Amino acid sequence: MLWKVYCALSPTACGVTLFLCWICQITVTDEPDVLYQKVEVLVKGHDRAVLDSYEFFTTMAAKELGINISKVEEPKKKIERLTLLKSVHIHKKHRVQYEMRTHYRNFEFLRLTGSTARVFLEYLQRNLPEGVAMEVTKTEIEKVPEHILEPLWNSIPEKEQSSQ
Amino acid sequence: MAAAAMCSVVMSLSRINQRLGVLTLNPVHKGAAYSKGVSVRGRRGGPPSSRPRREAGPPRWEKMTPDQDWTAVYPTAAAFKPSAVPLPIRMGYPVERGVPPAKEGNLELIKIPNFLHLTPAAIKKHCEALRLFCTEWPSALDSDAHCEEHFPIQLESRDYVFAGPSLRNPQARVVTLRVKLSSLNLDDHARKKMIKLVGERYCKKSDTLTLTADRCPLRKQNKDYAFYLLTVLYHESWKTEAWEQEKTVEDMEEYSWEDSPSQRNVLDTLLRMRTLGDSADAAVDTDSVRKELLASSEVQEYAASVSRLKNEGESESSVLQYREAVKKVLRL
Repeated sequence: MLWKVYCALSPTACGVTLFLCWICQITVTDEPDVLYQKVEVLVKGHDRAVLDSYEFFTTMAAKELGINISKVEEPKKKIERLTLLKSVHIHKKHRVQYEMRTHYRNFEFLRLTGSTARVFLEYLQRNLPEGVAMEVTKTEIEKVPEHILEPLWNSIPEKEQSSQ
Repeated sequence: MAAAAMCSVVMSLSRINQRLGVLTLNPVHKGAAYSKGVSVRGRRGGPPSSRPRREAGPPRWEKMTPDQDWTAVYPTAAAFKPSAVPLPIRMGYPVERGVPPAKEGNLELIKIPNFLHLTPAAIKKHCEALRLFCTEWPSALDSDAHCEEHFPIQLESRDYVFAGPSLRNPQARVVTLRVKLSSLNLDDHARKKMIKLVGERYCKKSDTLTLTADRCPLRKQNKDYAFYLLTVLYHESWKTEAWEQEKTVEDMEEYSWEDSPSQRNVLDTLLRMRTLGDSADAAVDTDSVRKELLASSEVQEYAASVSRLKNEGESESSVLQYREAVKKVLRL
């Protein structure tokens, strides 16, 4: 059975380096671990080089932790352009154009446990560079709840069927 | 520490001066332990300070060895320090007839996020520490089919990380529940009623029911609501209401050949063919003849082809099958 693994972290005064200064206590609880069939991470940024470096970091971290990476995609960039008047007053024929470029990178990880996903996602999110946004889509798998295995009135025959 | 020492030294000096009757020269500011070489506030144009300015030494990268521990130089995310990075990096638009500017005093290098704190050595160190908190995936669920078999319900939710005026994203509370109806305990009537109840949320091709819950403010609440909806749908579909007896042919989901105009027409045609062929004196017992005709293989084949045409639609193979069945029934 999989148990949830919690970490109680207490930072010391000197810094935030994970491996050097924090005193970690691993607690194992009886609660069964959540299972994620798929975790998709979409990162958005204005600079393609920054996303390239982040991709290298993510793939290496996933390999080190033994996480299955199914695909790494680069959706097409989107450019939002707007045209504004150059001058404060009149001069309608003179305008200035701005554009905002958004580059994307999509990572898909398969079959993660809840503890692994929590640790890995926190590691990724703490090392997210400035100006980069992230969207995480988690697909959790669960068993059919016990009360839906068969209709209620089959299991409680003596109860009167008053409520319809 | 240095300030306190200075002050005690100065105080002792002033006491000595007082004993000797010499006035103290300059009022010494407490805490003045830093070099005051360039601080000429209020002393513009005056004589230079006696304490000379400390010269900047050689840059740090000159003392670095190739096999040093880089994780100690950049342990966390930090701005680019040209004196601490031993690489001859140039960045920026080149000056006229020149090269991109060097790293000293280069704002472009400071602006862009750097990954100097996330070198492969650093990532390995971090992952060594993080591995303690990871758990292994159960080996029995190594494919999607196995996951589907043991854990049929899929719950999808999203998280957002971004910087803006507010850190919250209202789409983070949406929960989508997907389940295959084949994995639920439903009999024929319950399955058909469930499909009618959910309407568009059921996909016939993949046999998947999708319930999206976003009416509650918290994700946990939406998840509970989705399960509640599933429970209610399940129990309602098992119930048989009184008005369900009035189900007409138009309400049926599939075409069934029994008691259909096609069956009546075929049997009538075959009966008339028989009476024409037989002699006129036989008192025909229509019911038994009908049953006999129904049981015959040609009529069964014809029934199958008509059902296939109606249910699956027209395709080359189904139309050909119908043609063969008609030829056999009418003995052409």
